[in-house]
Amino acid sequence: MSPKPFNAVISRPFSAVRSLRKAAKTASSGSQGSPNSPKYKPLSRAQLAYLDRAIRVDQAGELGANYIYAGQYFVLANKYPHLKPVLQHMWDQEIHHHNTFNELQLQRRVRPSLFTPLWKLGAFAMGSGTALISPEAAMACTEAVETVIGAHYNDQLRCLNNQYEMESTEGQKGQSREILNLTSTIKQFRDEELEHLDTAVEHDSHKAVPYVMLTEGIKLVCRSAVWTAERI
Amino acid sequence: MSRIARSISRRLYHPNALEHQAKFPLFPLTYGSDSLQYKVLNNTLKNHVPEHGFNERAIVASLNELELGSSVLSALGSDNSPSFLNVAPSVLELVKFHLVTKRYAITQELDSELANSDTATYNAPALKTLFQRRLELNKPVAPHLSQLLSILSIPGEFLVKSALPELHRLSDDMVYYSNETDSPDFAWYSKRVAISSAFVSSELFMAQDKSPDYGQTFEFAAEKLDRVTRLGQYYTNTEEYLWYTLLMSINLAKSQLTRC
Repeated sequence: MSPKPFNAVISRPFSAVRSLRKAAKTASSGSQGSPNSPKYKPLSRAQLAYLDRAIRVDQAGELGANYIYAGQYFVLANKYPHLKPVLQHMWDQEIHHHNTFNELQLQRRVRPSLFTPLWKLGAFAMGSGTALISPEAAMACTEAVETVIGAHYNDQLRCLNNQYEMESTEGQKGQSREILNLTSTIKQFRDEELEHLDTAVEHDSHKAVPYVMLTEGIKLVCRSAVWTAERI
Repeated sequence: MSRIARSISRRLYHPNALEHQAKFPLFPLTYGSDSLQYKVLNNTLKNHVPEHGFNERAIVASLNELELGSSVLSALGSDNSPSFLNVAPSVLELVKFHLVTKRYAITQELDSELANSDTATYNAPALKTLFQRRLELNKPVAPHLSQLLSILSIPGEFLVKSALPELHRLSDDMVYYSNETDSPDFAWYSKRVAISSAFVSSELFMAQDKSPDYGQTFEFAAEKLDRVTRLGQYYTNTEEYLWYTLLMSINLAKSQLTRC
């Protein structure tokens, strides 16, 4: 297995300097009264707080997903060669999601979840533990996790659509490009997570032996992890 | 307890400045640079604190110079509750003003440097540069630094609501605006705590430094910061080695198992 997603030190792919430079540019063009740079009125404290926790919980969630697939891949890839490409595909997508939210977290200066080491350990244990029971149990784990994640992303999308209609300084109403980008990112990721859910069902997740206990237990764990990662 | 933890760790989402106005340009100060408070406190900090120190006498001298009535004193810092050791709310506001404006000053300089230099070749400054720049800004008030640090470290509301969050914002800004690589996991916290503690110990050193132009302070700060970065490297290397060894031993076990 490739250890790449584990210790990869993320070198900052964006530059604070570049954003400063842009800000300086618009500031100077703004003083000349350029019409194509209307600004939006400041976000309220509640709006900022929601974005803050949304980024944090999404980052922690994608980190968890990444490590769950790592655990499954670690146990299953060599024993069941027919699952290898399936797992690899899903894992690669999760790595992409994780990197995207890592970038966003650094760029938007949100603090990561304080329990990050715990999420890593727990997610890897969950992934490899269910995979040790049987490949069907691993798929049931995927199904439960992706159900919770999909629902959670939907909640966030609802909130982003409802609560971030802002007024610009020129009186127009709308959403800033930043919010729109975040929405489309979350939308895309939600669709991919639900695709994983379908994949898991196709690969006999319903045949896992203590099916109800496994899925309901994992859903409970995921919900409490979401609750914690939003806050701490 | 949770309230304290929340206000220390309060560090909200930063929307981009291109599309969004900032509510308070000098957050956490709730007044802008064209307000009366700013004018009075700025004048106090520049002209009177080096002479009188961080106390009401400096503010009154500044008010007299600006030909304002001394009743303005009671309007300053009305949102601070008085401290245990009877530090006036207006003095607390002065201290807060010092911390906040000097934190913004190190990045503002960056901004103007950026405007003047060739943008394609511009490199972000090193963490060390920003760190030293912040210490440079302490030079005018250095004789009163021990007084300042004692006001900042009195346990109470001010420590929890202003002093510690401001220290954390400073180290966060230093990491964000420098060319330092930042990490999205737990190291995010340890890096900031390490830089904050390096900064506080450098300030403590500066408070007692008698060397010409505070040369020893800057030597101390450089060494301290160097030690912090080296510690981080040790940790990363150990982690990497342990991970490598783990994978190695698992693979070794696997290969032995397939042989027999």
